[in-house]
Amino acid sequence: MASHGVRRFKPVEKTPEQRQQELQKIDEYKSLERQVSEKVAQQEYTDETLQGISDLLSRNPEYYTVWNYRRQVLRHQFSNAGDSDEEDSTKKIAELIKNDLVFLMPLLRSFPKCYWIWNYRLWLLDEARRLLPLAMSRQFWQEELVLVGKMLTLDSRNFHGWGYRRLVVETLKQLGTPTESASMTQKEFEYAKKMIGANLSNFSAWHYRTKLILRLLEEQSASDDERRKMLEDELTLIHQALIDPYDQSLWFYHQNLMCVFDPAVASRTMAPNLSTSERLQYLRNEIEAIQEMLDGAEDCKYIYQALIECTLLVSKVAGSLSTDDRAQILSWLSELKQLDPLRKERWLDFEKTLPV
Amino acid sequence: MALVSGPGRAGGISSDQELHTLKHVAYIKNLDTRKDELEYWLTEHLRLNGVYWGLTALHLLGHPDALPRTETIDFVLSCQKDSGGFGAAPGHDAHMLYTVSAVQILVTIDAVDELEKRGLGGKQKVGSFIASLQNKHDGSFMGDQWGETDTRFLYGALNALSLLGLLDLVDIPKAVSYIQSCENFDGAYGVTPGAESHSGQVFTCVGALTIAGRLDLVNKDRLGAWLSERQIEKGGFNGRPEKLPDACYAWWVGSSLAMIDRLHWIDGKKLASFVLQCQDPEAGGFADRPGNMVDVYHTHFGIAGLSLLGMEGLEEVDPV
Repeated sequence: MASHGVRRFKPVEKTPEQRQQELQKIDEYKSLERQVSEKVAQQEYTDETLQGISDLLSRNPEYYTVWNYRRQVLRHQFSNAGDSDEEDSTKKIAELIKNDLVFLMPLLRSFPKCYWIWNYRLWLLDEARRLLPLAMSRQFWQEELVLVGKMLTLDSRNFHGWGYRRLVVETLKQLGTPTESASMTQKEFEYAKKMIGANLSNFSAWHYRTKLILRLLEEQSASDDERRKMLEDELTLIHQALIDPYDQSLWFYHQNLMCVFDPAVASRTMAPNLSTSERLQYLRNEIEAIQEMLDGAEDCKYIYQALIECTLLVSKVAGSLSTDDRAQILSWLSELKQLDPLRKERWLDFEKTLPV
Repeated sequence: MALVSGPGRAGGISSDQELHTLKHVAYIKNLDTRKDELEYWLTEHLRLNGVYWGLTALHLLGHPDALPRTETIDFVLSCQKDSGGFGAAPGHDAHMLYTVSAVQILVTIDAVDELEKRGLGGKQKVGSFIASLQNKHDGSFMGDQWGETDTRFLYGALNALSLLGLLDLVDIPKAVSYIQSCENFDGAYGVTPGAESHSGQVFTCVGALTIAGRLDLVNKDRLGAWLSERQIEKGGFNGRPEKLPDACYAWWVGSSLAMIDRLHWIDGKKLASFVLQCQDPEAGGFADRPGNMVDVYHTHFGIAGLSLLGMEGLEEVDPV
């Protein structure tokens, strides 16, 4: 893959021995590659071929065609195992899958951003689901939660990891009973909370939280009161977190919460049925709370952006922009033009579109 | 003719603000002469992408003929499989990513007719391969027969089919509604429904909507705001909130802003300055960040980003 974060170094002229060594490595690699592809072409799906494939992938996990070879060999081994009596065949298939999952572990740790490895692992688990009794395949999927938890501890923003986690949870819900499924959402909610607690800047975890809240309320068939309670808890939480108002992730979470008060999208949020007066009240409280954050952080552009956003929402809910609000917005805007020169044109455009 | 995609070899840190055009041309041309390096062979799975990145960069640098045309066509066609799709290199399996690169290369050097003359089943066959990867149920696209789904593949499919004039082979309305299901409240898009917004995915989704003629579905002010917040103090773009900047986002973020007419919402001068600092002024090529190892991927996207910003000495690039 493209090189990321690798420091540039001055080229050192290679000695003839080093050159020779490199050529030898190329020869070894090419000959392994040739052997493997010949065997697969002849449909020699043996343990020896699988070993060659493993060697090759350990040297080069980005070689997607070889992952496909591996799938072909495994499919063959699964179908061979299927020839035995049922109990025996299940045991054999489970063993094959288990061994393969173990093979993937060190690769995933060394190359956590390699699409093909994550991808192959999912395929393997789908095979478990296809070929094994429910209880057994569930066990395999369940263990993936532990694995992806470890991976996200190593890099808490790895989007492969987060995507994988969503898929694993999704599948476990399908494989479990409705009760198990509901408790799963609650557990994931706790997990996201833990990850946010470990690093407030982790927007991946905040994003996950936005999705889980909707899920949780839906699964609990929450009443409007319960939904309002959730909203208030979230507002309290984000206000506490915003003790550091310079963190962009927090403000994107805040922006997400404000959608609850936007009549255009409220129906898709955690509290869809607030009345107009409730929305206005929440927004006014919000504007007041955010204004207090300015104390000692007058140079924080995000605060002005949020104030403008909330005030515009007031006008959207109320149906028009009052003269006072308009004047307020213009004064915050003049701060923004000073504080945020990178996006000056955005603020000028915004000024032009502000209703009179 | 095939280019290595791996890291470059040289050192030196650029503090000046000049585009080292000839160094970059030489860097790209030399990529194919590095068969005595293990890296060349370890990056074979990117070969066809590498050719596309190198070729496009050369076109933008005003040296469209720096790679030999006939050999390029021969190499592209040697990557085609019976299914009509293309692999990364001869012998590699067909996949959407390389099929798109193959089409893009052939269009760039005006050689699509070679598909009819020497390809397997002409452009129609290539189109059918791509169309066969659409999920008829939800409109998404897979990368290959093994099922990985990602908005990258959806964009790739629409891009290649539109270049071939074969968009009618797929269900565009379904693809469009799949993209909408990947939209988040911040106005940006993720890799699948429910996924966190990501600049690379914004490019694929907005690009696909542009091709489909459905930019009206984009919340341009909201998305424009999110994209413009990718620019950080030093001038570079990051791909998501609170992440490090990377030269390639000059393209992913910049072109997305251009497609929704909001490119002026960021500081182009500061962005260009960041990207230029990512050059290797001695051996050519661009890296992700100043002082890092260069590669053809960042070279292509760095140059494309600069072209988007109207940098003098570069041909103008189409943001889609």
